[in-house]
Amino acid sequence: MPKPLSGSQIFLQGLWNDNPVLRQILGICSTLAVTNLLVNTLVMNAGLIFTVCMSNLTVSILRNYTPMRIRMMAQTLIIASYVIIVDIVIGAYLPDISEALGPYVGLIITNCIVMGRCEAFARNNRPWPSFVDGLAMSLGYAAVLLIIAVIREPLGFGTLFGYRIMPEGFTPWTIMIMAPGAFFTLGLFAWFVRAKFPQTAEEKKQGH
Amino acid sequence: MKKRLYSMVFMFVLTFFFAAVVSAVKVHNEERIQTNQQVKLQRIILAVLGIPLHERATNREVLETFERRVKPIEVKQQTLYVGYAENGKQITAYAFAVGGAGFWGPVYGMVSVDPEASRILGIAFYRHSETPGLGARITEPWFTKQFAGLPLFPVEGDKKIFYLKPAGPGKGPNELDAITGATGTSRAVETFVNRDLDRFLRETWKLVKKG
Repeated sequence: MPKPLSGSQIFLQGLWNDNPVLRQILGICSTLAVTNLLVNTLVMNAGLIFTVCMSNLTVSILRNYTPMRIRMMAQTLIIASYVIIVDIVIGAYLPDISEALGPYVGLIITNCIVMGRCEAFARNNRPWPSFVDGLAMSLGYAAVLLIIAVIREPLGFGTLFGYRIMPEGFTPWTIMIMAPGAFFTLGLFAWFVRAKFPQTAEEKKQGH
Repeated sequence: MKKRLYSMVFMFVLTFFFAAVVSAVKVHNEERIQTNQQVKLQRIILAVLGIPLHERATNREVLETFERRVKPIEVKQQTLYVGYAENGKQITAYAFAVGGAGFWGPVYGMVSVDPEASRILGIAFYRHSETPGLGARITEPWFTKQFAGLPLFPVEGDKKIFYLKPAGPGKGPNELDAITGATGTSRAVETFVNRDLDRFLRETWKLVKKG
């Protein structure tokens, strides 16, 4: 049995070494969809952070009572419940953003990061480390989304947080508003990080 | 056998618990969500009717203004929102819903016409799933402002009340600028707004005139 990870190790894993978006290439759907406006990205991040943390915590608390064979069903139920709560709360308090995010809040249910962490971590670890793992992983996701949004919003709309930052004559890049813009941004970003800071043996062998 | 029973009981209890929690959250926020939607629609109706609201109007203020200045009436399955002047007597405009299939999904909008139904006063689109920065620009003022003052008349054959043409000079009075890069959305808007205006003029308006 490997030694349990310490809090800071868990954080390093989530934010950098094992970053869900850059290293594991998970959660790409929402990464492409909600990163053209920073405000939307922030709300989406908050929703995901809440969902991953709470799902991890709940799955971990129930880990010794959950029958092995139906654990996926239980996890899906737990995740879906938290996501619906997030969806209702955003709809009630931030109606405009709720509209802008459209189906993507509901689609957190299918975000691989959530179930991935429940399966890979929470079901074998104690509640507190599981919560921390959820926090670290979702912050890792959030950080990448924010970086991509900070690149996309100014190029696509000429604004940052809705405030105009580009010069008057700037022509917005339409592609940055659409999903392909995120695809290129994310691809280049992941390539840069993996080439510059190789983690796996394969990446190291290829050199840079 | 015992294991299976345990699994079933476990899942049942878990489902019961989470369904209860989600329902509680839903019920607790239901009213707020409905008010949000109602106020959003009322803001749009007030805006197209040309009834001013100050910039940071609260939900309550919107509801009050709406109550005072707008009266919804049902005319042959279509809801008409009648806008009244400050004195509450004179009719200033009629508003009604327009909508149809956009490029990606349904588009909902609201149009207002003058008391004689001879011109469009304003239009607004409030719910859609068009591409941000492209089709979604149907909500921007430069696009919707073009509709103000557009003459209304029943058209014959395949003629239309207005056309959306690529932006540029040399266009007729009923040719408005389409959205560059969103030909699909522009075409869809042209189709369903024309259709709904025509339907209003032919069906609803006759009945309104009769009283």
